[in-house]
Amino acid sequence: MQRARISLSGACARIHTNGTFYGWASVALTGVALYVTSRTSGVPLFAKPLAWASLVLYNVAAIVGTVTLGLGLNNGDQEYREWIWWAAMPLLVAIVLSGISVFGTVVRRSEREMYLSNWYFIVGFVSTAILEVVSALPYYQHGLGQVAVQGFYMHNSLGMWFTFLALGTAYYVLPKLLNRPIYSYSLGILGVWTNLLFYPVIGAHHFEFSPLPWWFQTLAIVFSVGMLIPVWAGSGNFLLTLRGGWEAVRRSPSLPFLVVGIAYYFLGSTQGTVEALRTSQAYWHFTNFTVGHSHATMYGFITFIAWGAAYALLPRATGKPASALATGMHFWLALVGVTMYVLALSAAGTAQGLAWVAGNPFISSVESAGPFWVARAVAGLMMFASHVLFAYNVYRMTLARHTPAAVASALTREVAAV
Amino acid sequence: MRSAWLLAGLSAAIYATLAFATGVWPGEALSKVAPTPGLRPLTPEQEAGRAAYVSEGCSYCHTQYVRPLAEDQVFGRPSVAGDYVYSTPELLGTERNGPDLTNVGLRQPSAVWNYIHLYEPRALVSQSIMPSYRWMFVLRDHALPGDLVVPVPPPYAPPHGVVVAGPQARALVAYLESLKQQPLGPVRRR
Repeated sequence: MQRARISLSGACARIHTNGTFYGWASVALTGVALYVTSRTSGVPLFAKPLAWASLVLYNVAAIVGTVTLGLGLNNGDQEYREWIWWAAMPLLVAIVLSGISVFGTVVRRSEREMYLSNWYFIVGFVSTAILEVVSALPYYQHGLGQVAVQGFYMHNSLGMWFTFLALGTAYYVLPKLLNRPIYSYSLGILGVWTNLLFYPVIGAHHFEFSPLPWWFQTLAIVFSVGMLIPVWAGSGNFLLTLRGGWEAVRRSPSLPFLVVGIAYYFLGSTQGTVEALRTSQAYWHFTNFTVGHSHATMYGFITFIAWGAAYALLPRATGKPASALATGMHFWLALVGVTMYVLALSAAGTAQGLAWVAGNPFISSVESAGPFWVARAVAGLMMFASHVLFAYNVYRMTLARHTPAAVASALTREVAAV
Repeated sequence: MRSAWLLAGLSAAIYATLAFATGVWPGEALSKVAPTPGLRPLTPEQEAGRAAYVSEGCSYCHTQYVRPLAEDQVFGRPSVAGDYVYSTPELLGTERNGPDLTNVGLRQPSAVWNYIHLYEPRALVSQSIMPSYRWMFVLRDHALPGDLVVPVPPPYAPPHGVVVAGPQARALVAYLESLKQQPLGPVRRR
């Protein structure tokens, strides 16, 4: 009997990346954006039914996308856009609908100035809607042409979507929790424009030494160096806002997540610039180093910011606190886990690259990475355990019943933190 | 800036321009390159094998691009744009947990090796971490006429009966055998 079965390893890679991108980070950060625009604009959310429809469509896309990938149906091995078109379409509509809600709320705001976070949200939603449409059109994507579009898509889905939403989130939550203004509004605006101008150009650095035009790759590397401007402006701005506020960080359940997010934004993005240089790519391209880097950014930066926002804003919205013990365990398991994960894969990648440059037989690069993969498995288990604790805490902050005394004591703790 | 409309319009204009310049335009231009001389479109069976390659996600661990670097010389000559004319969806890949396969049809011409390797990679390379693709094979008591029997060595051979390559395995091996770089002519000096 011929068994119809799909390789678990191939399907898992795709389900993991698309699931974390569009099933987790996109939904979480869109939720934060909807909350923040309404709060900072001083008006109720514009077109609330559209936001609800967006939530439904995000989940439809995540379920359909995951199931179809598991069945071996995919859009080719195009990283981060493997979902077949009828799973990707609900995602696009979800982004557009919640974008309309975000934009309409800002347009109808009662404040005269548009708060910094809303700059990031508007540019993020507008660019991502354009990106998703452009990259979904198939007519100009054949052979090497598709490689060019893939490099463009792969990095823009990170930079124009997650980076903009996460920075907009941090620009709201950080000053809110510290109860002080952001250090520099201008540095924040500089970040908006430089991200918008530099980010779209750097995609080809995923295909260095490929047959893509050499000048096109060089341009991508130059702009990758340019990315230091928004990264250092942003992370410097956050750190200067935090200056002297470390006592509050120590007491607060949510600020530590934001601090880690900011630190990984700085480290991971600066690493990305160094990694884009041709000399680095000659050693690290195709190795696990890249996978370590993507976890430093998508997990260390984006996911920690989303967690910080959830722990900060959900209790304010529902009046229900999270479990302090579970929050602390979540934080340490996730932080130690991701740090160990990134270090293990960076070491594995370096070992692989050195084995190739030395001209050893290919299998020696697999063997040299082996011990580090054991460390990665341990780190991955810690990260997974932290997610279970987060799920429990989300339950505590939303559906669970609390006694008034517990709510009062948690509120005291939150206020005392500042 | 006080107008959300101005911010949205301006960023849309800037982003659309950059998306055209760095995504659409290179995509369109590079979709029209001429094939490398000697390169042939895939046969229907090779095409089916390529579909299995995509569906199984082989390109998450195997690249199909050779760089102009000394360390890549073992995989063939540096890839050129014309090599990819019949490769949609593209399978260049971003990770090498396994070796590059651009030229595997020349490097590993033995079909028997490929069948055994797909059935159980560790039968040939003991340290391999590649998944086995046993569901592409059929186990029979006796070979039937027209069956392609795979001589799996012990200890990986089944205790009784024979291993026969299924249609998916045959298509995949046909595709792997088609992966051969065409030699480039003498380099013209400008």
